[in-house]
Amino acid sequence: MTDTTAVLGYAWPLVVSPGEEVAFHLSSASLAEAEATLLRVRCGDPDPDGPGLRFTTPGTPVDGRVALRHQPLHPGSCAIVPDVPALRRAGSLSAGCFLWPTAPLAGPQTILSRWREDRREGWRLGLDAEGRLEFEVGAQGRSWRVTAPQPLLEREWVFVAGVLDAEAGEIRIVQQSLDPQAGRDRSGDATAAGPRSVSWPEATALVIAAQAREGGDAPLTAAHLDGKIDRPRLYAGALDAAALRALCESLAPPPGDPDLLAAWDFSRDIPTGRVRDLSANRLDGTLRHLPMRGMTGANWDGSTVQWSEAPHLYGAIHFHSDDMHDAGWSPDLRLTIPEDWRSGFYALRLRARQGSDDPVESFVAFFVRAPLGKPRSRLALVASTATFLAYANSALRLDQVHAEAMLEGLLTLSRDDVYLQEHRELGMSTYDTHSDGSGWCYSSAKRPILNMRPRGATFNYGNDTHIIDWLEQIGQDYDIIADDDIDRHGAQLLAGYDCVITGSHPEYFSRAMLDAFDAYQRGGGRHIYLGGNGFYWRIGWHPTQPHTMEIRRGMNGLRTWEGEAGENALSFTGEPSGLWRSNGRPPQRLVGVGFDAQVFTRSYPYRWREEAHDPRIRWLVEGIDLEKPLGDAGLRGGGAAGLEVDRVDHTLGSPPHLLWIATADQLDYGGVPTLEELRTLHRGAMGDQNARVRADVAFFPTAKGGAVFCTGSIAWACALSCNNYDNSVSRLTGNVLRRFLDPRPFEGFD
Amino acid sequence: MLVNDPEAAHWPVDPSRLDLVEEFRRKPRGPHSDALQKLLHRMRWSGVGRRHVLIVLEPNRRWMLGRLPGRRGAPIETFPNRVFTDLAAAEWAVFVLRWEALTGQKLEDGSSAA
Repeated sequence: MTDTTAVLGYAWPLVVSPGEEVAFHLSSASLAEAEATLLRVRCGDPDPDGPGLRFTTPGTPVDGRVALRHQPLHPGSCAIVPDVPALRRAGSLSAGCFLWPTAPLAGPQTILSRWREDRREGWRLGLDAEGRLEFEVGAQGRSWRVTAPQPLLEREWVFVAGVLDAEAGEIRIVQQSLDPQAGRDRSGDATAAGPRSVSWPEATALVIAAQAREGGDAPLTAAHLDGKIDRPRLYAGALDAAALRALCESLAPPPGDPDLLAAWDFSRDIPTGRVRDLSANRLDGTLRHLPMRGMTGANWDGSTVQWSEAPHLYGAIHFHSDDMHDAGWSPDLRLTIPEDWRSGFYALRLRARQGSDDPVESFVAFFVRAPLGKPRSRLALVASTATFLAYANSALRLDQVHAEAMLEGLLTLSRDDVYLQEHRELGMSTYDTHSDGSGWCYSSAKRPILNMRPRGATFNYGNDTHIIDWLEQIGQDYDIIADDDIDRHGAQLLAGYDCVITGSHPEYFSRAMLDAFDAYQRGGGRHIYLGGNGFYWRIGWHPTQPHTMEIRRGMNGLRTWEGEAGENALSFTGEPSGLWRSNGRPPQRLVGVGFDAQVFTRSYPYRWREEAHDPRIRWLVEGIDLEKPLGDAGLRGGGAAGLEVDRVDHTLGSPPHLLWIATADQLDYGGVPTLEELRTLHRGAMGDQNARVRADVAFFPTAKGGAVFCTGSIAWACALSCNNYDNSVSRLTGNVLRRFLDPRPFEGFD
Repeated sequence: MLVNDPEAAHWPVDPSRLDLVEEFRRKPRGPHSDALQKLLHRMRWSGVGRRHVLIVLEPNRRWMLGRLPGRRGAPIETFPNRVFTDLAAAEWAVFVLRWEALTGQKLEDGSSAA
């Protein structure tokens, strides 16, 4: 059994151009060194029934032994405000905010603090292990603590505050439930003895949603909060409960009040990593590990569901104790990509303990792009980096009740899955839920991603390398371009190519990416879509952080978690998220087919339809026996139509000129329609009774000589290599590719 | 926040339906009759107790029986003596475990795991 996790790493940037530098950030808890080899990936799927792992080794200066060290991960989001004199002001102090705790029993948590855990000095407002509000002051080797009489309720808004009244020598807790009825009232105050004078520690950062373990402006943090914080305020004085509540209620506390130390407004700069202070002290802070922004505040009233329309109702940030955006590892190897390298899927292979019964072979993936304006081929294959990120470190099969029922068989876990089960600090995918049960909406590449590399999970990345393998097999040259760059550069990047292939699962698309393909197809571009469930979710890319995407799943579509009401707009862009179908752009309009079902019992062949005999597309079926089924073999389920499948639907935008060439419409009871396909409730919706559960192959010409060919199935790519690449799927794909690279227009469709 | 309820699968398992056992033994990967589909859904939805899984020893060739801990961060329990070279045999072995957990009755031929 090969050990794929003894050394892990990430490449930064994830996508590089020839001439640019890529750095490899590595860590191992057990190995002192490994043997590094830089590879170009032809096939990353280890299945011995297929092509198997296939690489070429260009030979680079980083090849050879690399010393390793352990670089721990520190998950958990928070806001950090570096130390300033205003935070060291002597005398009384009040700290309050609205709080929506999501895991109050998960262990001690800190809401607001200026606290050094190593010296137990400062103050902190938090929750104890029983979920009770507590306020603690530590100074001169002493500590004072007051705890609320009853614990907080999960997912219920509460106003919380801690007060140091130095004149009275007291510390107080204020706790007021916002919906104090029907068993939800947890209001209650408490008072305890406190210091009459304190001197606060120096060089201690103020931390929101955690506390500093040490001094300095960038401390390690602990006691991370799970939950939402809205309108946190700090005041130099012992306010009574009503005044403190009014200060937190106010959307615009008067900055002229000289005792107002800080009043953070999380509704400002929502797409960024900054939190803004409205006070005269300018105590702006920095967010660590991408907590969830654009979240409904305690004042949200349902008058809008879009933060951009009424930001003042979106003054909350949802912090998670397991958020992970940036591993922060130091680089161990650096490589400048030679100018003459082909674009492609690349990886750094790390080997150790070779010859033992537990050899180590781990990969760190990256992509070399064909830069904008410098195509080296007439054909581009898209690296679906948005999809790879959306699925990055998916623990779906480990955590979700439905996984085995959905997959129709025992879960088979790789060594990577076994590792992920124990190492949640890697940060999980947008299919997963945080430890507090809320969904992961962000994913970044600044951390090891176990399932976006050779040997990784047999989905997405691994399946797409079957297309690379097939292109290499037929001797077809191609460029690789990445989703990140399509979003950044738009249609002009695609326009450099006569034909663009999207892979087995181009599921996640930003508006800019969709616009790029739409413009490309309308401008004479030719698009081959070799997958299923494509162009499905509407995402956003972070405005400044590279390789970082966002999805809000909302309440429609095949969603492994459901967004909260009012929280389904993208914080990165302000746009709605959810399905493209719900955003007026169903996939059928762009590529002729759109997602309709999953089928994991097995994969099926297609049957040819009458349109396959249309003389206008004779080139398409050349050399193929139309008396035999299409794609009756495949590495995923034994056929070419399976896993996730798409269908033609003119009411959803399939174009009038579309030729519906083949269909797999007998998917039996294992064909389960997607949720947005069911308008009314009735039995008979599964594939054994429902003809709309199917995979369709289609072709249509677009404008100016452009065209689209689609296969409507994720399993297609893994059928290309069957019978030594001699099969109807390979032949049909080859016919289409040859014709799509031939500039002659498609005649007869006027 | 809509979540999947592990207790939601409640189709009543009839211990006398050994015909379903035989149907599964003959064809672990299906297609299956309506009643067997319901039995399998009951078994798969919750995993019956803690969920048994397979851990890949060699891709698409060799698997070891394992069991999820039911808690994030905890290690997966492994059964190094229960290694399969055939997915159908593995499915049958876990079916036997789950049948006993659901009905309290042992099945003959519970040893077909390699």
